[in-house]
Amino acid sequence: MAHDWQPDFEQLVDEHQSMVFSLALRMTGDRGLAEEIAQDVFLELDRHLGKIESAAHACFWLRRVAMSRSADALRRRKVRQMDQWVEIKEHHGLQPEPRTSPLGGRLEGLLATLPDPQRAALVLRYQEDMTPEEIAASLDAPVATVKSHLQRGLKLLRAKAVIHLKEYVREKEYARGV
Amino acid sequence: MEFEPMDDFEEQLKRSFQRWPAPPSLKHRLMENRRRRKERPRWFALPREVLVAVSLCVFAGVFAALYGGIASYHAEQQRKGEAACRQVMTALRITNHALNHMNKQLAAHGRGSQE
Repeated sequence: MAHDWQPDFEQLVDEHQSMVFSLALRMTGDRGLAEEIAQDVFLELDRHLGKIESAAHACFWLRRVAMSRSADALRRRKVRQMDQWVEIKEHHGLQPEPRTSPLGGRLEGLLATLPDPQRAALVLRYQEDMTPEEIAASLDAPVATVKSHLQRGLKLLRAKAVIHLKEYVREKEYARGV
Repeated sequence: MEFEPMDDFEEQLKRSFQRWPAPPSLKHRLMENRRRRKERPRWFALPREVLVAVSLCVFAGVFAALYGGIASYHAEQQRKGEAACRQVMTALRITNHALNHMNKQLAAHGRGSQE
């Protein structure tokens, strides 16, 4: 199919490297692996550049391949421990926003404890602000399944967050008492 | 201490799950990898017809080598079998000859003792 859009690889990298890296990082919890995945995804894009029809198509393609590569990497290496998430924050330096609330800084860690499909759905929903239909297309899964993953993942994350907050309050009160 | 209202839990998630900035070296390494990849001779970038023809030739070569090897193995086995067969026949002939000779001697000895 003929299309007028002329893809510029370097520009695509500039625009989407943060997205691809963040998806891979949140899915794998491993910074080095996330960088590797991001490189692979963009090199794959370079090979398929002729088939990309628009900027939106490029974005969709990158999300889809990043999630698929991350899932492959997770299958190979089961890296889902909270410690690694703490390490990521300590070494990454930059934070998207100052974590003022007791919960904000721990959500990433709690996310890492969710089952892979639920985590994938939540990351696409809240990082990429995608609808369940868009997530379904990206993950190549039925919409109903994605909705179920979103609901269950959110419920689980909420429950974990409540427990975490209770522990936080208990620690604060104990510290004040001491 | 008040808990954060959980009604805006999803809003909190959106704020917390902002994109991480990519490592500054990512793009540089990526472009370097891309450049190296493009410079590398890419025999697999040949036209599909050529690749198919080369693959077929390789397949035919491997098939011929295998077939030749198997045929040669069978011929060798057959030759060894025939040689063994010849040896057995020779041994049988010698044994037969010896037995005949002994038979004749026994017969002559029997006749002598009767007389």
